[in-house]
Amino acid sequence: MGQIEWAMWANEQALASGLILITGGIVATAGHFTQWYFGAYSIVAGVFVCLLEYPRGKRKKGSTMERCGQKYMTAVVKLFGPLTRNYYIRAILHLLLSVPAGFLLATILGTACLAIASGIYLLCKFLPPAERAASPGCAPSSVCAGFCVYLPRAAVRGEQWTPIEPKPRERPHVGGTIKQPPSNPPPRPPAEARKKPSEEAEAAEGPSAGPQDNPIPVTDEIV
Amino acid sequence: MESVGGWHPGHALLQLFLCQMLGLYTGWNPVSSTSLNNTVSSSVCGSCELSCCQEFWRFLLGLCLSRASASVLNLNCSLILLPMCRTLLAYLRGSQKVPSRRTRRLLDKSRTFHITCGVTICIFSGVHVAAHLVNALNFSVNYSEDFVELNAARYRDEDPRKLLFTTVPGLTGVCMVVVLFLMITASTYAIRVSNYDIFWYTHNLFFVFYMLLMLHVSGGLLKYQTNLDTHSPGCINLNRTSSQNISLPEYFSEHFHEPFPEGFSKSEEFTQNTFVKICVEEPRFQANFPQTWLWISGPLCLYCAERLYRYIRSNKPVTIISVISHPSDVMEIRMVKENFKARPGQYIILHCPSVSALENHPFTLTMCPTETKATFGVHLKIVGDWTERFRDLLLPPPSQDSEILPFIQSRNYPKLYIDGPFGSPFEESLNYEVSLCVAGGIGVTPFASILNTLLDDWKPYKLRRLYFIWVCRDIQSFCWFADLLCVLHNKFWQENRPDYVNIQLYLSRTDGIQIIGEKYHILNSRLFIGRPRWKLLFDEIAKCNRGKTVGVFCCGPNSLSKTLHKLSNQNNSYGTRFEYNKESFS
Repeated sequence: MGQIEWAMWANEQALASGLILITGGIVATAGHFTQWYFGAYSIVAGVFVCLLEYPRGKRKKGSTMERCGQKYMTAVVKLFGPLTRNYYIRAILHLLLSVPAGFLLATILGTACLAIASGIYLLCKFLPPAERAASPGCAPSSVCAGFCVYLPRAAVRGEQWTPIEPKPRERPHVGGTIKQPPSNPPPRPPAEARKKPSEEAEAAEGPSAGPQDNPIPVTDEIV
Repeated sequence: MESVGGWHPGHALLQLFLCQMLGLYTGWNPVSSTSLNNTVSSSVCGSCELSCCQEFWRFLLGLCLSRASASVLNLNCSLILLPMCRTLLAYLRGSQKVPSRRTRRLLDKSRTFHITCGVTICIFSGVHVAAHLVNALNFSVNYSEDFVELNAARYRDEDPRKLLFTTVPGLTGVCMVVVLFLMITASTYAIRVSNYDIFWYTHNLFFVFYMLLMLHVSGGLLKYQTNLDTHSPGCINLNRTSSQNISLPEYFSEHFHEPFPEGFSKSEEFTQNTFVKICVEEPRFQANFPQTWLWISGPLCLYCAERLYRYIRSNKPVTIISVISHPSDVMEIRMVKENFKARPGQYIILHCPSVSALENHPFTLTMCPTETKATFGVHLKIVGDWTERFRDLLLPPPSQDSEILPFIQSRNYPKLYIDGPFGSPFEESLNYEVSLCVAGGIGVTPFASILNTLLDDWKPYKLRRLYFIWVCRDIQSFCWFADLLCVLHNKFWQENRPDYVNIQLYLSRTDGIQIIGEKYHILNSRLFIGRPRWKLLFDEIAKCNRGKTVGVFCCGPNSLSKTLHKLSNQNNSYGTRFEYNKESFS
């Protein structure tokens, strides 16, 4: 249970709530309800929430699926730094945004959904991975040691929004693996052994300094 | 079944299903439409003034939309449970009652069907909620004093939000929407792939959803009139006309001028005229019987029965016989259980309370129990925290200061429970005359059970030629089943059927060691370096098996599956038909 990254779910919920707010707002303003200005607010709030939540944050472990075309919004969201990185701020922001939409019947659903998303974001911060430390057979690691005690207050769990950066593509070096062909015919000793005889040959007076260095001295037996 | 451009009988079923939904949606349901008609016309249009008719239509739109979407929701909520009765589907797949391969292939699409129903429920719930919000507004604004029983609101201009939260249908409706929101946001593909737990735990809220649904329809909002003969719609209530300030002849002269050219001399004639009736008594209304209970009780009971059966069946733990560690992070577990029968290609779900009390994970059987040998086994790849912890429990890492010898330690295996076996499309590979089985990495497990079965006895099955292609990244992975492949190959050579199984192994990583092992000559000579060239392979198979139907099975990464699906649907000049059988994971 402790391995669950709740932030991803909260992100999906917030995106869905944004869409619900937009729909409710359109119904309210187009239908000319009384207090239709709440509908207009709801559309604006919905668009804002959708744009904020569109770029998916990076998972701690494993690869994250990016949403289609999210890199443009990632650049914008990254600009705000700690305001968007911290999930506390996001939770409180969503809670505040959802309140005015609750006054109109058409947008009341959006309020409920956004409030739940805000709750899950808060949960990200408050729920430490207590179960992992308690299970048997868990190899003690630095992560486990830090969280072996259940902290009921705001735990420094470290869940935050990290942008998904595109990895710089390594250009395959053409010809990088092509090395010089060997200079001596077989039998050839491995590369490490080849280096040592050459050093020794410089120091000592070895046999003929030809291209062929026999690793095992070859004797010509003439009977 | 010929796939022309990818069309498939499963798609036809889906389209038929959608058309049926559309039919229901347009309010074809005769019961609801007549009752709706009577209800609305009695309550709103008692005196048939023109402005009243406008209100009638506005009411009708809201009520019609909500009733129609409710019908669609009834159908979907009942059907969505059926693809999840996995034991039932596994039984149907294996039984003689489903002789046609076409029907069995429809069972492969059960998960897609479940998802389609889910999406439909989501969309039509939105329509239903919107329509009811409009209704709530209408009911409070157009509160009718004439027919108090029919009103959903308790007094005129009651705040619709109060209507929403203080009536039984309203409150249960709001709760259901919240539950649905939680379930749907956790069921997206991204969440299933990354955090399966969230999906699994929230999806179990479906039971709460169904309980709320049963309560929701018991509110009795929609009523029908029980005494239609004595008080027909649009009849004139003589006691009321004085309060409405119009006299009878004037009333008739205003509205019924045309059909009565004789004039209005005798008022008795009009009372006898069957065109307009006089009300004999007050209308009486009774709530409709909730249809939803009829729709969902069947599948819900079936699903609950299946879960109970699975729970009872999996309550007895298995006996682990041996645990073997294989290279490339794979572990094999061999076990026995009483009365456990499985067909090759099926999978089981493992549950180990010592590792995690709530999680259970599916693994394909690599060895099925036979008449002579009751042992069955699974191969697990160690990926993720559950498998890591499981491996640490079964094969404890050697610690320097341990005085207990390793082989004694391994006797204390944790308790393991299995659920299943459940069916999969790979069972079908034994029912084709020629099968092409492509495995990617650990995806070889379903085919391993097929090979084990062929090793046992190949004659009872329809299969006469098997093309087995295994693509791995690491040379060590081939060691998982190298022995099995060699033994199988030798057996077929002994029986003079050398072309029964055609093995081709591909090593996709081109650097590194390129020999499986000294003793596996057979496999070394069938080992190719690099990725397979699928088009050439398909052409070769088509050429050697002209006019036959070849079953294509793939267990591996999605890209591989897509390539093979596309190639299977292409025509070839030899008249060979490739039928692609798709497995869907997560």
